[in-house]
Amino acid sequence: MLTVEAKNVDFYYSDFHALKNISLEVEKNKVVAFIGPSGCGKSTFLRILNRMNDLIDGTRMTGSVLIEGEDIYAPNVRVDELRKKVGMVFQKPNPFPKTIFENIAYGLRVNGIKDNSFIEQRVEESLKSAALWDEVKDKLKKSAFALSGGQQQRLCIARALAISPKVVLMDEPASALDPISTAKIEELIYELKKDYTIIIVTHNMQQASRVSDKTAYFYLGELIEYDDTTKIFTNPQKESTQNYITGRFG
Amino acid sequence: MKRFLEKLAEGALLLSGSITSITILLIVLFLFKEASGLFRSPVIEEGYVIALNKANTVKSLSSYEIKEIFDGEISNWAELGGKDEAIEVVRLSDLTNYYTEEELGAEFENIPAKASELTASHPGIVLFLPKQYLAKKFDGITLDKETIHPGDFFGGKEWYPTASPSAQFGLLPLLLGTLWVSLGAILLSLPFGIAVAVYLAEIATMRVRNILKPIIELLAGIPSVVYGFFGLVVLVPFLQKIFQLPVGETALAGSVVLAIMALPTIITVAEDAMRTTPRAMKEASLALGATHWQTIYKVIIPYSKSGITSAAVLGIGRAIGETMAVLMVTGNAAVIPHTLLEPVRTIPATIAAELGEAASGSAHYQALFALGCILFLITMVLSISVEFISKKQK
Ligand SMILES: Nc1ncnc2c1ncn2[C@@H]1O[C@H](COP(=O)(O)OP(=O)(O)OP(=O)(O)O)[C@@H](O)[C@H]1O
Ligand SMILES: [Mg+2]
Repeated sequence: MLTVEAKNVDFYYSDFHALKNISLEVEKNKVVAFIGPSGCGKSTFLRILNRMNDLIDGTRMTGSVLIEGEDIYAPNVRVDELRKKVGMVFQKPNPFPKTIFENIAYGLRVNGIKDNSFIEQRVEESLKSAALWDEVKDKLKKSAFALSGGQQQRLCIARALAISPKVVLMDEPASALDPISTAKIEELIYELKKDYTIIIVTHNMQQASRVSDKTAYFYLGELIEYDDTTKIFTNPQKESTQNYITGRFG
Repeated sequence: MKRFLEKLAEGALLLSGSITSITILLIVLFLFKEASGLFRSPVIEEGYVIALNKANTVKSLSSYEIKEIFDGEISNWAELGGKDEAIEVVRLSDLTNYYTEEELGAEFENIPAKASELTASHPGIVLFLPKQYLAKKFDGITLDKETIHPGDFFGGKEWYPTASPSAQFGLLPLLLGTLWVSLGAILLSLPFGIAVAVYLAEIATMRVRNILKPIIELLAGIPSVVYGFFGLVVLVPFLQKIFQLPVGETALAGSVVLAIMALPTIITVAEDAMRTTPRAMKEASLALGATHWQTIYKVIIPYSKSGITSAAVLGIGRAIGETMAVLMVTGNAAVIPHTLLEPVRTIPATIAAELGEAASGSAHYQALFALGCILFLITMVLSISVEFISKKQK
């Protein structure tokens, strides 16, 4: 069963052609890594998958994207419903200026859930899945800003998990973190793929090879190569991919 | 050479900064100095004296008490803590009721003696007499050293600066008038202003915003007299008709005009605050499946709370100090208002309308300065709170 299915996606920022004819499929409960030099369009493509680019004026897209078989760019699609299904973790931790508890409860509350015991239970479950519960269980009423950067990022992951998405998009989730926090996030991704389909953008080759099942290499708005991670890193088919993963450019 | 020029420029900047501060300080000092004179002014009209029978146990009268006596509101000394004795008000012209014109003399040369005699013989008398008719050896108590008490000003319920024998400088009707009009203005303009700010910051497209924003900023530049004209010609007749009022010049008219005037400030400041909401916050909310509206009231408005508060306070500040437009539409009756549909008079309108006719150095003149001080203190408190709020934001 395919969770994500993009077909012939072209994307423009005003007149800038940022993505060129991208087609890519992601299977359920797999981790896919997007790699490629800065500015090649990884984030742009990621944000197409939860229609985050809708927020930017003057953008245009052609082609189609199906999530669990549904065309997410169809006219009758409710974007807020889509985003409940496709969660996102950003590059820089961006907790709300609220308590730890309220940060996680936010997604449930905007979903119209009022049952407090259910919310409490979901908060605990999400924090446990994000491997943060033990560190924060005694300070749920404290501001989220009192956490370290790594903890804040795991809080943001927990926040995304709380509304039980099908797909979790992560845009360089560990780039602002120290090695220990990064390792924790990687472990977490490994755990999470049991329940979620994960797409992660990263600049870290080791990270891509450690966490992902498949890897997509982007270059100048094009999808150059997309294959099993082991294959990409041991036996890439394209020279451009080879050059990039061996660090000859990018 | 270059270093020298830099030093020179630095010095010039420092100098202009100090001059500005000193000028402002001097203005404030002048304001308070003139105002403080009010509490050294006599209670009784310049050149007159009030005399009582020497057996009277009441030894001093406040400005308000004098007014009440002469208006006939107080008619027994017992009400003022004295003996149970009816009060007998005697003005200069009333002397003919007690004495014939011959007795008073052809040139009124006997008035001093007769006034003294009358005072001595009537235990309940209160005599209001020009100082020139006061006998050398007057047989009674004269009240001429009484000065206006701070209580008469701060607690006074009447503003009647030309009243005789004792002018009334009661702050309350003017202060309440100002507060009512300003409060009404802010209640009208705040919800509307925030709504427009939300629209501009979050909903309007770039094109609409680029058209609307300059128009709104232009509104701030229209002279207040023009708003006053609009209020007088359009709003006042309209309110009169809608509410079936005897007069349309009411506190409400002032509030509406001020609300319109305060809107540009409120909209601009609130919109700027909303725009400072980090993109990351908005994206975090939307990525969790919140709708645009949920993001507005759960993230953007809470995030810009202090900016919105500053907008409100600045709006009130503008409303409280506004003179011309309010003067034109509020009816200017110095009475304590009970509803928004009554005429009121505000502090700035009073100063503007009366300063021209108050003799320089008179109690009335000083009372207007005291009003100025009150206004200054209110706006100072407001701007300090804006400062405080925006500090908290950071
Ligand atoms: N809001 C925008 N408006 C116009 N152009 C944009 C915008 N966002 C991105 N771009 C352009 O689109 C291209 C792809 O950007 P994108 O952010 O997707 O790259 P990326 O692969 O994520 O890079 P990085 O690794 O640095 O994050 C870049 O050339 C960038 O300049
Ligand atoms: Mg990126």
